Amino acid sequence: MQKKSFRGRFPAKVLLVRFTPLRSMKDRLLCLLPLATVLSGWELLSASGLVRPELVPPPSRILLTLFCQLNTASFVLTVVRSFVNLTLGILLALFTAAPLAICAGLRRRVDSAMTPSIMLAGSLPDLALLPLLVMWFGEGSLAVILMAGVCAFFPIYFTVREGVRSIPGEYFQVSSIFHSGRRDLLDKLILPAIVPQAITGLRLAFDFVWEVILAIEIIAQVAGIGSFINTSVEHQSVDAAFAGIFAIGILSILVDRCFFGFLEERVKRWA
Amino acid sequence: MELMQVENVSKLYQEGRGPGVLKDVSFDVHEEDFLGIVGPSGCGKSTLLRIIAGLDRPSSGHVLLHGREVSGPEARISMVFQSWALFPWRTVIQNIEYGLELRRVPKAERRTVAKALVKLVGLAGFEDVYPKRLSGGMKQRVGIARALAVDPEIVLMDEAFSSIDEYTAEVLRSEVADIWKETGKTFILVTHSLAEAIQLAERVLVLSSRPARVKSLLEIDLPRPRDPESPEFVKIHKELFTLLKEELETSLVRHRLRGVKELQELSDLERP
Repeated sequence: MQKKSFRGRFPAKVLLVRFTPLRSMKDRLLCLLPLATVLSGWELLSASGLVRPELVPPPSRILLTLFCQLNTASFVLTVVRSFVNLTLGILLALFTAAPLAICAGLRRRVDSAMTPSIMLAGSLPDLALLPLLVMWFGEGSLAVILMAGVCAFFPIYFTVREGVRSIPGEYFQVSSIFHSGRRDLLDKLILPAIVPQAITGLRLAFDFVWEVILAIEIIAQVAGIGSFINTSVEHQSVDAAFAGIFAIGILSILVDRCFFGFLEERVKRWA
Repeated sequence: MELMQVENVSKLYQEGRGPGVLKDVSFDVHEEDFLGIVGPSGCGKSTLLRIIAGLDRPSSGHVLLHGREVSGPEARISMVFQSWALFPWRTVIQNIEYGLELRRVPKAERRTVAKALVKLVGLAGFEDVYPKRLSGGMKQRVGIARALAVDPEIVLMDEAFSSIDEYTAEVLRSEVADIWKETGKTFILVTHSLAEAIQLAERVLVLSSRPARVKSLLEIDLPRPRDPESPEFVKIHKELFTLLKEELETSLVRHRLRGVKELQELSDLERP
């Protein structure tokens, strides 16, 4: 029942997108094929004059715009600002959700007392909080970070709790036999044991929070890549809007492959 | 003074209902002893071992180590687990070092100890391998080395050879016999295999079915290495088997269906 409601919170897409290592050069080229087809189809469509290039600019122009934008400090700062807000939000969630989840995972009583309320809170639509947060904290980064923290809290809480619960009882006996203190129990047993689930939680949170941050930036006009896209559309520079979208995509892929991919490879050595 | 005295240890269920798990179990363990504990399955052998380890408290009675009551895990008592319970995120050598790490032994010193133990249990070359790449027998070698690393006086083994294939277990048993001889430590082994107990132990404690009482304490006065096919070995095996069979037959009256199944299992197990 808990698992079900946890799953229900995230679009299926988020759960399906997993890091899959590419095996050979041939596979690598194969995966580029559909991408190349779509991009060239799009390019032809724009070139043919069937759609107005002001509304749907060709990919070549978008990439060119993106390249130019990347050389301007303001664009880079905008992207960095969104990314920093996202990271701070996730860290905020990590440092609040993980300790609670560890307590809940270790003690059945704490779990029975706390988890139902957290599930209830988690089933509320997170974005509905936004107007309140903006009212309390103003239309600044603080509201964005708090909102991101709220959204990232639940995936982190439930995955970490599951991680702690799945530690075999014998491991705790081993640490008792060797006289583990509380500190060592945390450092040398619980934290290393939950790393795989924590990575899953962070990855879910990362995908989820990106969308939320963009939504906030667009709705509440908080400075960031979301509002950049919005303003670009309002000023009819659609290629800049697309450049913003591409920038987010590329950044997400980089974080996914480099950061999470790296962590998962490390965990795979033992798990 | 005896190294360890188990005095009238009883263990009831948590709510205090039912016949309980252990009833007035008393025995002594002396230094350099190798005590085997056998009994019908589910009789509370493992509970007894957990109480000795300080992982569980008896409902009444005490366990004394050097005359002082054991009220929690003791530095001088270490344990080998049935399903190894190695930490998967630690390499072989890091797993062996775990107990020393908790005791704040400096890194260089722990490495020296761990390296010596890696050699002792025959895992040289596997120091930096993670447990998932090891076979069951190799994992249990790490488990044994981890238990020995903290230089305990008593090593407890809970069905330590039961999750390993028979051939590997055979090799490992004779190695444990050697380790016991070499280190002069006291071993207490809980097992469901009579042959294993006779092969390793100096004395075999036979427990009755639930609630477990001490049924008998047999001295195994056979020269080592022991040959399971020698007439003396077979004789002791028969003697133990008769004791256990009696026990199962009495318990048969009590829990008819469960007992039949147990007797069947035990006969299957012990048939040569």
